[in-house]
Amino acid sequence: MPAADADRGDRRSGLGLQQRRALNHAAIFLTIVGLWELGSRMGWLDPLFYPRPSNILRSFWLIYIENGNIWPEIYSTASLVLSGFVAGSVLGVSLGALVGLNGMVRRFVKPYVIVLEATPRIAVAPLLIAALGFGASSKIAIIMLVCFFPPFINTLSGVVNVDEQRLELFRSLGASKLQLMRKLVLPDALPVIMAGERLAMTSALSGALVAEFIQRDQGLGALIMTYTRNLNMASSFACIFTLTILGFLIFRFMEWLDRRIAFWNSEEGLQRVGARRRKRMEGLA
Amino acid sequence: MNMPTQNSGQADTADQAADAGAKDAVVAARGLSKTFADGTVVALEGASFDIAPGSFVSLVGPSGCGKSTLLRLIAGLIDKSSGHLKVHGKPVDAPRTDVGMMFQRATLLEWRTAIENVLLPTEIKRSLTKEDRRNAAELLRMVGLHDFRFSFPTQLSGGMQQRVALARLLQTGADVLLLDEPFGALDEFTRERLNVELMRIVAEVGATTLFVTHNIAEAIFLADQVFVMTPRPGRIASIVEVPFERPRSPSLQTSPEFNEVVAEVRDILGEDH
Ligand SMILES: Nc1ncnc2c1ncn2[C@@H]1O[C@H](COP(=O)(O)OP(=O)(O)OP(=O)(O)O)[C@@H](O)[C@H]1O
Ligand SMILES: [Mg+2]
Repeated sequence: MPAADADRGDRRSGLGLQQRRALNHAAIFLTIVGLWELGSRMGWLDPLFYPRPSNILRSFWLIYIENGNIWPEIYSTASLVLSGFVAGSVLGVSLGALVGLNGMVRRFVKPYVIVLEATPRIAVAPLLIAALGFGASSKIAIIMLVCFFPPFINTLSGVVNVDEQRLELFRSLGASKLQLMRKLVLPDALPVIMAGERLAMTSALSGALVAEFIQRDQGLGALIMTYTRNLNMASSFACIFTLTILGFLIFRFMEWLDRRIAFWNSEEGLQRVGARRRKRMEGLA
Repeated sequence: MNMPTQNSGQADTADQAADAGAKDAVVAARGLSKTFADGTVVALEGASFDIAPGSFVSLVGPSGCGKSTLLRLIAGLIDKSSGHLKVHGKPVDAPRTDVGMMFQRATLLEWRTAIENVLLPTEIKRSLTKEDRRNAAELLRMVGLHDFRFSFPTQLSGGMQQRVALARLLQTGADVLLLDEPFGALDEFTRERLNVELMRIVAEVGATTLFVTHNIAEAIFLADQVFVMTPRPGRIASIVEVPFERPRSPSLQTSPEFNEVVAEVRDILGEDH
């Protein structure tokens, strides 16, 4: 829309561009939901597979408030995701740094990494359950497996691709291997490592669901399986939307963490940390 | 800030037998050569020279004539293939803290503020004191960046980044400064101003300086001696003495005497320049 038009519209309605955008979105959303509701009521959509929005809303009420039975499952899935993610990515980052720093190990490990990278990790899930048995440990192992590779690969490449001239600088300053690692290699690799962590976190939720689909004992995955088998599609949808929100929160959290850790990649981060360091050092220098 | 100058002729037996160079030379080389591993590239052949304390030496020559190789040998970053090389009378066999190096790119760490970058060399040696922080702030004042000491590298212009790198070089306390085309990536205006400042600063701290450049006029303007180098194999073809008084002003570069020296250097370099 030409700017002049937008201006005129603003003056007429007395609303900012932001608010008008929000209104537009709300209108589109309500239209879709309305059509869905109508379709279900008129029998255009099979109500068995496409439950009415009003029913889904009622399911939300039921599982969140009246029965409150979704809370332990959310807790179960979330804690599974978190522990698997932490374990897998810590392992990935440390092994990646170890392999990256040692040229010989790197040469030996490389072919295996390529083979494993080409294999969909989730395919190994049934084997892990067979090996570790049903229960928390095999679930965590599955999530660890999907969370391991992105940080591992990214840490490896981040550590290997250190700028030659900076390495030379550190050598000329007489830095030890540990100092080189702590003051140059790791900070330099941090943005790449964080990109790997974000990828890992996204797969962690999918990994948890697959584990729960297979084991069907607890968690949102198991709940979806139960509701679907009982043809309670409205509640299944309520669980799926719950996962949407969970996924969104995880995404935003990782974004926030990335901005905190690799602060120097954003103007906002530079301002924030710069102000803090100025405060800390002003009296000293 | 300077390191104490060590006496020459201590604790080295093999090199003592060979000619160790003039008694008071800070850097002394005899027949210094470097051939890279594949054995085909003679990056530097038979370089011999003495560099007096506090003097400013420029290295000029076309690309590939071994300028960076010579600097990296002196810094102890690479091993020589043959010949003798001493800094402060001691053979060079590893990176050492009395020699500091600065590169064409500022190589600042972008997660550190300017002052934290300047403090890096000290941090690597020992834990920081208040005195170190004051010293680093003072050095940033010397290069005209005191107001920017809490800025991050990405918030500074290219010229300002090189000033921070210069302050970091001075913070090492090294009294032999090796500068490999330090302002080569900057625009001419900024480069000229930084050159003048560099002359002032190294004179102030009394450091011995080796300065690599492709620019003949710049090399002469800054230096007491110009090492004119030629490629294939990399050699020091001639050492040209620069007779002009200090302090020098940029207008010197338009004088006929100055242009005579330029012509002399150009003559040694031959057709390619
Ligand atoms: N690590 C290396 N391995 C093999 N050959 C090298 C290495 N470093 C330099 N050389 C070769 O040695 C020669 C001299 O290189 P050097 O970098 O010293 O030149 P330079 O005078 O600094 O050139 P420039 O002005 O382009 O920086 C070149 O032929 C170069 O290809
Ligand atoms: Mg070079």
